[in-house]
Amino acid sequence: MMFSKTIWGFLFRLFPCPTRVGLRRIGNPGPDSPVLVTCNFHLTVQRLKKILHSLDLWLLVADSKGVNVWCAAGAEEFNTHSVVSAVKTSGIGDMVTHRTLILPPLGAPGIRAADVRAKTGWQTKWGPVYAKDIPRFKERGFRRDESMKRIRYDLKERFDTAIGALFPFYFLGVIIFLVFFRDFLFDYLVAGAAAFLAFLSLCPWIPGKRGITKAILCDAILLAMVLTFEFLPGFDTRLFLPLLIIAMVMVPLYGLELGGIASTMKSDLDPFLAKHGIGAIGNISFAGTIRTEILNGYRVLTCDREICNGCRTCTEICPQGVWQMGQDNRAEMIRKGACTACRACLVQCETGAIQAPTIQPPKAYQ
Amino acid sequence: MFSYVFMKILEMRPRSYDRRMQKASRGRTRQMKEKIAGQMPEKGHVLEIGCGTGELAGFMVERGCTVEGFDLSPSMVGAAMERIEKENLSGRFSVKCMGVEGMDDFPDENFDAVVSTLALSELSDDERRFALKHASRILKPGGRLVIADEVVPRTKVRRFIHSVARLPLLILTYLITGTSTRPISGLSSQIKETGLSVRKEERSQGDSFAFVIALKEK
Repeated sequence: MMFSKTIWGFLFRLFPCPTRVGLRRIGNPGPDSPVLVTCNFHLTVQRLKKILHSLDLWLLVADSKGVNVWCAAGAEEFNTHSVVSAVKTSGIGDMVTHRTLILPPLGAPGIRAADVRAKTGWQTKWGPVYAKDIPRFKERGFRRDESMKRIRYDLKERFDTAIGALFPFYFLGVIIFLVFFRDFLFDYLVAGAAAFLAFLSLCPWIPGKRGITKAILCDAILLAMVLTFEFLPGFDTRLFLPLLIIAMVMVPLYGLELGGIASTMKSDLDPFLAKHGIGAIGNISFAGTIRTEILNGYRVLTCDREICNGCRTCTEICPQGVWQMGQDNRAEMIRKGACTACRACLVQCETGAIQAPTIQPPKAYQ
Repeated sequence: MFSYVFMKILEMRPRSYDRRMQKASRGRTRQMKEKIAGQMPEKGHVLEIGCGTGELAGFMVERGCTVEGFDLSPSMVGAAMERIEKENLSGRFSVKCMGVEGMDDFPDENFDAVVSTLALSELSDDERRFALKHASRILKPGGRLVIADEVVPRTKVRRFIHSVARLPLLILTYLITGTSTRPISGLSSQIKETGLSVRKEERSQGDSFAFVIALKEK
């Protein structure tokens, strides 16, 4: 059961895969051992157990509806209530003498640290973005260095995400090819997967700011290859021409929704749908939430310099390093283009200096 | 049974929740709520865990009770507020948006009854034990805990039939809402652990639905 859940969680991680909420012992924890908070996504808990096996600590698994930390926090499913409930109902207060929780920083869009402190009486600290840095974080006396604050989204991570994201889309494609283009099913199986994995893994190095721009450039290269092979004397293109054509069709589809797959990229599909008055399909919103409205350009993140007290919470919590302190010790946005509108800064700002005022009414609601 | 699994989908539309739930359960949810309200002491002070739209609270108010309710879902609390205004229940029914973890704020021996319908099966094991522990603490001596919820059947054969019959809707609910309810295992023993004595446990719907009344001895 556990193994099949892990396989399901790995391949179909776009779907919720919950594990038991509550306290877990890692190693042989005692009253002084640290308390780490995480979500109840099965794969996350399994990976944490594996990475942390040599440490002694308490792992407090809070309800995120079976979704990973960042996605669940973004959707406000992994939130202040999840953590407060886990702290109060798990009995962790009886197991340790200290009162400090180490929170996952990618949970910042949902978990408001100040509210957790007020509702539980516990202190909070943000841990490293990556679980693999937790042993080093502990060695450093639970202090993060710069590398522990930011998301890197390197090749290995992109490939890992690509595999997880590939399967639902891939199977949808298999059904379409089985019904309408059965003769080209094998070509799809090869070209669909190759295009997806290659595009997602290589996307930061492909020129262009947006997913769709990158995809169009890839298509231009593929088209050049098709034409070259077609006109090259002595080449039989019948074997690989369908592969290239399928890849040309698939890449823009992936590119259009890169933001839904690659965590540091923005979606081109959401603003397009919102702009044309489609606010939501089922439970998936393209407009109406602060995040979608920032992404769609209807709101803009700003810092009110009169209110900002220079606490540096925003610079600490932004996984993209978008904020920095100016010369007057007030927060200023230095990498606007890198902002993925995760809202971590907005949620965590205790003075209310960071705001997201509306600059244009959303068309979906006009 | 199916309506309880289906409940997670119906919760997405709080305003029509009661009507749709009533339809899906073929009138049984309303009967169950009327039955629970009938168990309440007249003019008693009642706490409802997971009060939803406040339909049960409305029945209990009709019996003369004063009801405090809470629910985690802001949209459900919104629907309950609308009911308070529409049915003029102000002063007799109040509602808060919170989870069971907030139950430790209620003073000791404060309520004549604590009720919960189809809410405990949505909680984690820790949350359920916490809720029952505090329900026992806040009940006055002689007060009663009344629970109606989805439970795991007691025999292997029934458990198997229940799981198989539940599976299609479980998948549908999971695909639409990404979550589902979890039938409770060992509800009576969990209640007994809190020091309350279980006076009645009625099972129905293939042993998968329990109606439990427990008392706090004087």
